[in-house]
Amino acid sequence: MSYYFAIIGTQDNPLFEYEFGTSKQGGDGQPRFAEQARHLNQFVLHSSLDIVEEVQWTNGQLYLKVIDKFFTNYISCFMTAGNVKFLLLHQPTATAGGGGGGAAAASTRNSTSVGANPTSPQTEEAIKNFFNEVYENYVKAIMSPFYKVNMEIRSPVFRQRVTAAGRKYL
Amino acid sequence: MAHLGPGKAASSKEQTGLRYPSNGKTIYHRPLNRTKTAELSQSSFAYLFSEMVSYAQRRVTGIQELEKRLNLQGHPIGLKLLDLLLTREPPRSQTRPLTIIALLHFIKINLWTHLFGRQADRLEKSSNPDTPDEYMIIDNEPLVNAYISVPREMSQLNCAAFVAGIIEGVCDGAMFPARVTAHSVGGKEEGEMWPGKTVFLVKFQPEVLEREALIGKG
Amino acid sequence: MRLPSFELYITTRTVFALIIINKAGGLIYNRTFHDGGLNKISTNDYLVLAGTFHGVHAITARLNPLQPRTTTNRASLSSTTTGAGAGDLVRPEPPSGLEVLETENFRMQCFTTLTGIKFLLFADTTQANVDLTMRRVYDLYTDYVMKNPFYQLEMPVRCDMFDRRLGSYIREINNR
Repeated sequence: MSYYFAIIGTQDNPLFEYEFGTSKQGGDGQPRFAEQARHLNQFVLHSSLDIVEEVQWTNGQLYLKVIDKFFTNYISCFMTAGNVKFLLLHQPTATAGGGGGGAAAASTRNSTSVGANPTSPQTEEAIKNFFNEVYENYVKAIMSPFYKVNMEIRSPVFRQRVTAAGRKYL
Repeated sequence: MAHLGPGKAASSKEQTGLRYPSNGKTIYHRPLNRTKTAELSQSSFAYLFSEMVSYAQRRVTGIQELEKRLNLQGHPIGLKLLDLLLTREPPRSQTRPLTIIALLHFIKINLWTHLFGRQADRLEKSSNPDTPDEYMIIDNEPLVNAYISVPREMSQLNCAAFVAGIIEGVCDGAMFPARVTAHSVGGKEEGEMWPGKTVFLVKFQPEVLEREALIGKG
Repeated sequence: MRLPSFELYITTRTVFALIIINKAGGLIYNRTFHDGGLNKISTNDYLVLAGTFHGVHAITARLNPLQPRTTTNRASLSSTTTGAGAGDLVRPEPPSGLEVLETENFRMQCFTTLTGIKFLLFADTTQANVDLTMRRVYDLYTDYVMKNPFYQLEMPVRCDMFDRRLGSYIREINNR
């Protein structure tokens, strides 16, 4: 699986983004997005914000699970108390090698049955753990007296922590 | 000397030119709940707050502006506390406040206990039918005013405007945009029992009530 | 100043008045705790009292007899005065000046803070634990005057909260 994680501020402005791949089942932690798809990811992710805004008032949970799907791209969402959204786009890949270019996008369409099923309870739980760990670090980040709401998170330590969380759970 | 986890610090240090504390520990290495029950010296807070008020008072044109500045000092604290206090909740009750009442309870109980070591004294809804958007949080003796005597010529001033700012920050952060103001009511109605009694008037924006009505229906 | 009349002397009210003098000798606080506890004197007289006491205090502070240790341990004293005495950590107390002034009818206790503010407490001659009362009054001053953002140093004390707390504390003592 390949992941694209982004933190979106209250004005729908990105605060942080990070691309990574699975580290489970022998994954090397590298994202396998097709080159064109990488730009598309940002659109896909942001387009799900409309749905987030609908769901957030019917469900008081922080973790809103998978809220949107675009072909093989699944979007999981986590809302913080301060209305900052953590969005994770996850895309199962056909083969471990992943192949490049448009071929990969085509091949993934009929390979959702691969071990890493994006909607299985296990995946849901893993993503929840990932989000929780990121949330903890996010709270630490905003505790900085120099951090104002909706500011980009630049801390390299934060990035390390997100990387570690990704490696640990996904 | 203890360094960061396996060789991470070294590489990032070069990238950003950031400086780290000499022991390599940043805020990310500190457990969030370590200071959950820690207490601060009230005296040191009183001196700090006294300086904050003096600072806000510099070159202000009036009491309203002074209260506005105190409010602004509190606002970011509210935004940050909202997230901090929610992470400290046990996972089961870790839910975002979706209704006005849930939000005000969060403020009355969680926020007040965290800041002042006790709950707010009362929570009231405006009884005036013209102002259904107004709620009141009542504190009989606000901790921030413990040592403050407001001079007679500034009698409308209530330095708890700072706390009002914190409340406003929490409301704004939770997407319940509101204006919060602090008013002294001590010694007016219920005798001289609580001379420092303060009402925090929370006035929500119209869209909040609109949404509240929609959620109530659905 | 005039002295309190005899019948007031025998009442149980024991703390009569408090005066605070700033470090320049100006009167910054003046309060009588019981009507008639001390005869009223005019504000002007209070100002004169504060200024006069300030001057007398300054002189008495210099009227200190030589400390006995000067003769017994000259070496240690010289080392402390030069500030190099590593072994002798006890610095001689600075001379305190006038501390108590007693008449037939009342006793006036003076306490000088480290910053040079003077608290004068007028109490009954039989009143015990004036030191403790003074300490508490000082506590109230540090709390309700010094922590008040609207108080300007060296200026007259106008803090409702201080008045209220001081009033109830002294009432408590006087009714004991």
